[in-house]
Order: sequence, then C-alpha cells, then structure tokens
Amino acid sequence: MNLLRALELLKQPVAEPASDRELFLACGFTPLHLKTFLAAHLRHRLPNDRIKIGIGLYGDLVGSLERLTPSRGMVVCVLVEWGDLDPRLGIRSLGGWRSADTIDIVESARRQSERLADLVKQLAEKAPVYVSAPTLPLPPMFTTRGGQANHYECELREITASLATSLSAHKRVRLLSSQLLDELSPLARRFDVKAEITTGFPYSLEHASTLAELLAGLIQDSPPKKGLITDLDDTLWAGILGEIGADRIAWDMAGHAHMHGLYQQFLGSLASSGVLLAVASKNDPALVEQAMARNDMILSKESLFPIEAHWKPKSESVGRILETWNIGAADVVFIDDSPMEVAEVHAAFPEMECIVFPKGNYQVIWDLLKRLRNCFGKEVVSSEDLIRLNSIRTGSTLRSSAQNGGSSIDDFLVKAEAVITLYFGSDASDDRAFELVNKTNQFNLNGKRYSESDWISFFQDPAAFLLTASYEDKYGPLGKIAVVMGKTFGRKVHVSTWVMSCRAFSRRIEHHCLKYLFEKLDAEEIVFEYKSTPRNGPIRDFFAELLGEANGPAPSVHRASFDANVPVLSHHIVEVANV
Amino acid sequence: MSEHDDRLVRCFASVFPMMNEEEIRASNVVPLFDLDSLAGVTLVTLIDQEFGINVELSGLLELGSFEAISQFVRKQNPFEVTRE
Repeated sequence: MNLLRALELLKQPVAEPASDRELFLACGFTPLHLKTFLAAHLRHRLPNDRIKIGIGLYGDLVGSLERLTPSRGMVVCVLVEWGDLDPRLGIRSLGGWRSADTIDIVESARRQSERLADLVKQLAEKAPVYVSAPTLPLPPMFTTRGGQANHYECELREITASLATSLSAHKRVRLLSSQLLDELSPLARRFDVKAEITTGFPYSLEHASTLAELLAGLIQDSPPKKGLITDLDDTLWAGILGEIGADRIAWDMAGHAHMHGLYQQFLGSLASSGVLLAVASKNDPALVEQAMARNDMILSKESLFPIEAHWKPKSESVGRILETWNIGAADVVFIDDSPMEVAEVHAAFPEMECIVFPKGNYQVIWDLLKRLRNCFGKEVVSSEDLIRLNSIRTGSTLRSSAQNGGSSIDDFLVKAEAVITLYFGSDASDDRAFELVNKTNQFNLNGKRYSESDWISFFQDPAAFLLTASYEDKYGPLGKIAVVMGKTFGRKVHVSTWVMSCRAFSRRIEHHCLKYLFEKLDAEEIVFEYKSTPRNGPIRDFFAELLGEANGPAPSVHRASFDANVPVLSHHIVEVANV
Repeated sequence: MSEHDDRLVRCFASVFPMMNEEEIRASNVVPLFDLDSLAGVTLVTLIDQEFGINVELSGLLELGSFEAISQFVRKQNPFEVTRE
C-alpha cells in the first residue's frame, strides 16, 4: 500500500455497524507515516472499526509506557528501535561513537531493555500488547569492517534477542516475527536517513507500510482453521498406489520424494497441535490399509481420521468427513495434486480453502508449508487440542452404535459414568474459554467474537461471571468444552455468550450449565442475548426443546419452568468455584 | 488540465481532506502548513512518491500556490501527456 492509497482509504467512511477501537502507538520516533499506514491497514482488515490512534512523546518510549493507563478495549503497539535502548545507537544524537563509548552503550542498552521488558509485561496485564523488536540496521559505529561482526554488535543483538524471548513467553504479548519481516522488507531498504534527520521518522515508506501491515495482521487475529483433508497419491506420498503397490510408493530422498516426507512431517506437527487430519483418496481401501501399515511412514496412521478411500467423488468423501468432525467447510483446508479434484471439491464447498499440491516443485511445496502454518497457527496448544481427535473418534463410534440399535441417551449417560467439572468465577486469563468463544459456531448463542481487549474489559465489571465446563466419561476426557458468560442483576442473570464444542453435544452438559447458574446465583430468571446465525441451529433447537413455542428473539427461562422441563441429569458434578 | 494536475489534486486532497477540488486549485500551502505542521511533511512525501520528485519542504513553501507547485512538477516531468 502506498501513502496516497492509505490516506485515501482513511477518507472513506467506516462501514456500519461501526464500533470504536482505541490503539496506543508507543515508539521513540515520530510515528508520522507509520501511524497513517497502521490506521489504513487496520481499516482494510477491520472495516467496521472506527480506529483512534494515540501516540506517546518523541524520544521517550519508556516514559510513554510508564504514563500509559490503557482505557477499556485499548490495544497497545510498542515499536522498539535501537535509539530507544540508547540514544547513541540512533543518528540524531551525537553522543559519541568512540570505541571507549561502546561498552557503556551496551550496558546502558541492557538496562533499558530490561526496563522495557518489565513495562511491557505490566501493561500486558491490562491490555493486549503487540511488540516489534528493533528492525533497523545498527549504525556504522563499531571498529571492525562492515563484513565482520563486532563483539559489541553481537552483544547488542543478544540483548534484543533476550528482550524478544522474554516478551514472547508472556501470554498477552504478541511479538512480530522478525523472520517474516526480513522476508518482506529487505534490511537495506528500511532506513530513510533523510527522513530520520529532517523529521525524526526513520522508516522508508515501503518498510513502514510492511511493518504496519504485519502489526495489523497480528491485531486482527483471525481464528485458525481446524482441519485438513489430504489426498494420498502424489500428495502424502510420491507414486500411484494402485499402479506400483504399497512397497514402492515413497517419501524419502532415496525415492526422490523427500518433499512428500517433509509434508508428512508437517502434517504430524499440525496433528500434535490439535489440527484434525483426514484422507480423501480415490483408491483401493485394502491397498491404502497396506500402505498405511508401513512402519516407515513419517505421519502416524492414528493421526488420520476418518480415512475415506474408495472410488466415489471426492466431494462425497469431504462431506462425510465434515459430518464426522462436525465442523464447517470454512474451517477446513483440502489438498490434492489433481486440479480437477480440487475444482470438484471447491464447487461443492465454496467456503473451503482448496489447494493443488504442487508435486515435483520443491520451492512451491516449501511455500505451501508456510501457507499452511499461517492457516493453522495458534497461540497455545491446550490440553483439549491433544485429546480432540480421540474424542471425535470415540463420538463417531458411539453414534454408529446408537444408529445400529444401541441404547437410549439416558442409558448411555448412566453407563458412561460421566463427570462434569464446573469452574465458576471471573478470571479473564482463561485461554481455553477465550479460544472456545472465538471459534465455536454451532452451539453458539449469537456468534459474538471477542478481541483480547474486549475480553479483558468484560471481566473488569464486578457483575460479570464466567462459567466453564469440562467433561470426562469412561470413554475418555473431552476437556473444557463449554463456556457461559454473562452478568447478574439481582436475581436476574443476563447471558451474553454461551458456546459449547460440537464434541460435547447430546450429553446434557448445557442443562447442567443452566442448573448450576440457577443454583449458584440464586437466580429467578436467565435471559439470553440470542441471535440467529447461519450456523447456530443446535442452540436454536435446544431453546425450542426447553422453551417450546414461547421461544422468542430474546429467550428467557424461569427457574420453575426449567425445573419442570429439565431431563434426567445423571452426571457426577465437581465444582471449582472462584477461579 | 493535465494528468499531472489531477494527480497533484489527489495528493492535496488526501492531505487536506476538507478541501474540494476548486479550493485546492486556488490554494496556497503557506497558511495551510502553518495550521498543520505534519501536512507539509506528508505532501512532500506524496510528491516524491507520486512524481519521483525530491523537493524540500522549504522549496514547497517558496513555491506557495498550488499553481506554482503544479508548474514545478510539470517542469520536472515534461513528458507527461496533456489531457484533452
């Protein structure tokens, strides 16, 4: 984006319905065009946000952070440059580059870096903070020639690396990837010496735009995809299984198929972080079984569920996989080496990201892995991520059993020896609750999503509560699978957000959540901020079942009515209050 | 009228969003920059970016009027096609 385009974009009215978003841009230099670019990139990504950007004082990054009291909903961007660690590392100060000064500069930078780390971490307790470590080249102040790294230069880089390491470990600090920035903005084209001297703005326009775009991407924080469906032949491995047999398909260097091995290794990494993997392949199922049984496969067969191997259209396979996973097409990536198959699946599921596997092209496969990491990247791998596939596998088995003349839901729940653990409090630091609210579509009261700052703000209200539930039965744990958020007004409870993972359907956990709220809050009535969305049919059905025809646009349930209509709840309940 | 003029009007309009085209063409930057010090820096940057002309802020202030700046830009880029 160039500067004219950015300014013109900002002249456009904000799309309705609009909401305010306040951002504080903390940097030691004049933010000038960076502020414009950041506002423009945010407008582009968040067209409904009316963005107001506040700035600190020139040359005083630490002071700006010390004085900042984040308002409700505010996000903070901190851009550190070398001059913020010691002014002598910038070029507007003429404080001395004598070799004797260098040791003092390094020590001063170390102290300032530690101070910055403390301040950013303190701020992160009150608002999400996005940080960029120094992006500009160091000045030619060291005694060695340009081609040789100087010891003190290395020490300075070690200081900023330590700063980055320390901040990246904090759960409410997002650190900009220096590797991605290096790819997109070459170091030699970042520094505008003239602008720095004449205006105090050190960035070239190109660098400012790139930096702002990456920061806006971090702030937007779109939810990760949930599942990947892969083809087998010439994708998961090299070769056509039906033609050469299970022994001769390859994914290693000896078979000139190392990139397929790398793809398997990458999928294994995704699986270990809770991404669902499945197979859609036009193949002989017996041969696929043989191939999967090879003990040199990089990707474990257990990571793939379900495996659809037959000769029917791929779109049918994909449909069944989505049904088993119980997630939407928009949350899934489909990969196949055949452009025709990709087109067929994309025609059936236009919301799905469908990608042709670039077999034989090393560089493009490498780029594909980076693209996939971007699709599936997540902040933390939770304990729920680790058990997701297993619980889907178990759920699928149970559904099959029920369809084949198995027992009723009541019988099942009694025999399952189910335990629901309910956590009640107002702790905004529950990452799993935040994740569930922002990714659940089906059992979702109104589709409302929260930015980190909105989330923190919500729980600053003394009337706010957070109820979460985890579930376990003899078939295994489902982990934390339900979240109810709301506020209490006397004996009336207003529920503004209610989500439950699709893995937990048909276990009456939703009834337990309401029962608990009535009892815990001594409530007479619970009012729901319900809104129909294209995908929240399951919660609509729940209200219809519980409230009957009286279910209106703002459904509410009275305690007496709930007690009269609630089905048998046979679970064992464990309460963990005041979290 | 020329393509140059239209592009220069766009640059002015993005820096001074409250002004219409007629006001821009009749404007003088000196009082405008007095009101908004960042506007001058931004206009200098836009002229550099849009026309590849490296002009100092002091140079723009000396030129003063939109018409004088437009003539300066045309002089630096004489091969621009005049619009019918």
